[in-house]
Amino acid sequence: MIEHLLRIDPVGAPRATVLIVPPLFEEANRTRRTLVLAMSALAAHGFAAVLPDLPGQNESLVPLVEADLTRWQDALAEVAAAIDGPVIAASVRGGALIDHRAGVAAWWRLAPVGGASLLRTLMRARIAADREAGLNSSLESLQAAAETAPLLVAGNALSPAMVAQLGAAEAQSVEPLRSIALGADGIAGTPLWLRAEPGEDAAMAAALAADIAAWSTSCGIS
Amino acid sequence: MTEPAPDATGVDATLRALLADVLGLGEARAAALTDDSGLFGELPEFDSMAVATVLTEMEDRLGIVIDDDEVDGEIFETYGNLLAFSWRKVNG
Repeated sequence: MIEHLLRIDPVGAPRATVLIVPPLFEEANRTRRTLVLAMSALAAHGFAAVLPDLPGQNESLVPLVEADLTRWQDALAEVAAAIDGPVIAASVRGGALIDHRAGVAAWWRLAPVGGASLLRTLMRARIAADREAGLNSSLESLQAAAETAPLLVAGNALSPAMVAQLGAAEAQSVEPLRSIALGADGIAGTPLWLRAEPGEDAAMAAALAADIAAWSTSCGIS
Repeated sequence: MTEPAPDATGVDATLRALLADVLGLGEARAAALTDDSGLFGELPEFDSMAVATVLTEMEDRLGIVIDDDEVDGEIFETYGNLLAFSWRKVNG
């Protein structure tokens, strides 16, 4: 089943389509507005831009507890296959953990992160919340509990398969790939995915779109 | 982490930048934090998810490993406490 997706088209025929692979869990909400601004900027560069909902995320009707990284990889591959013309995957943070099986012409990754780090942060939020409720939990006790039953972390019900896959997930090598970080050597901007309150960064969105457009050209896509 | 362990000024700067990133403080508010500035319970943005994010980012940016047994409420009471904890961890 293909989930709901947001698509922004350029005026006229697109040069290519940029498939935005969003960050995972709460990080997706924190970055969505800026990613949508980047999609509009991509349309101004002549690209179509597509931002799919992953099963169990955003407006998907699938319960999150039924999702895992394999299912997300399958879903992305399905979305990519349904797009006409060349596709560039543009993945942000944990999106880089699920983009390698999509049949695309090129990959672009912003600030890719290991799954273990994402999982640790989610579990720590649970530990902090448990502590406020007078309960004592630890990374070890949560990890053990997650082997046999869904784990509720920061409002997300994660299946044992999701926890196991996330704990071991690293961005896979793909070709051609441009991997870029924030900062002096990369994109100027703020790590909105860390932000406790949602924010937006229009200048960063424009920089992301320009960088993706340049990468597309240097890959000979258009 | 392959980067050398930061010195005291480096730890302070790293920690301020990290709190600015996670809490959206802006450079001026981050620079104005003093040892006595309250964090958890004082800054409305500093909820349990923010605490979790700060811990993981401290590990990544300071090149340290934080055992959750070491984390108690006191660490996040003030900026001075968080800085002292970070400094102890960096110096192993």
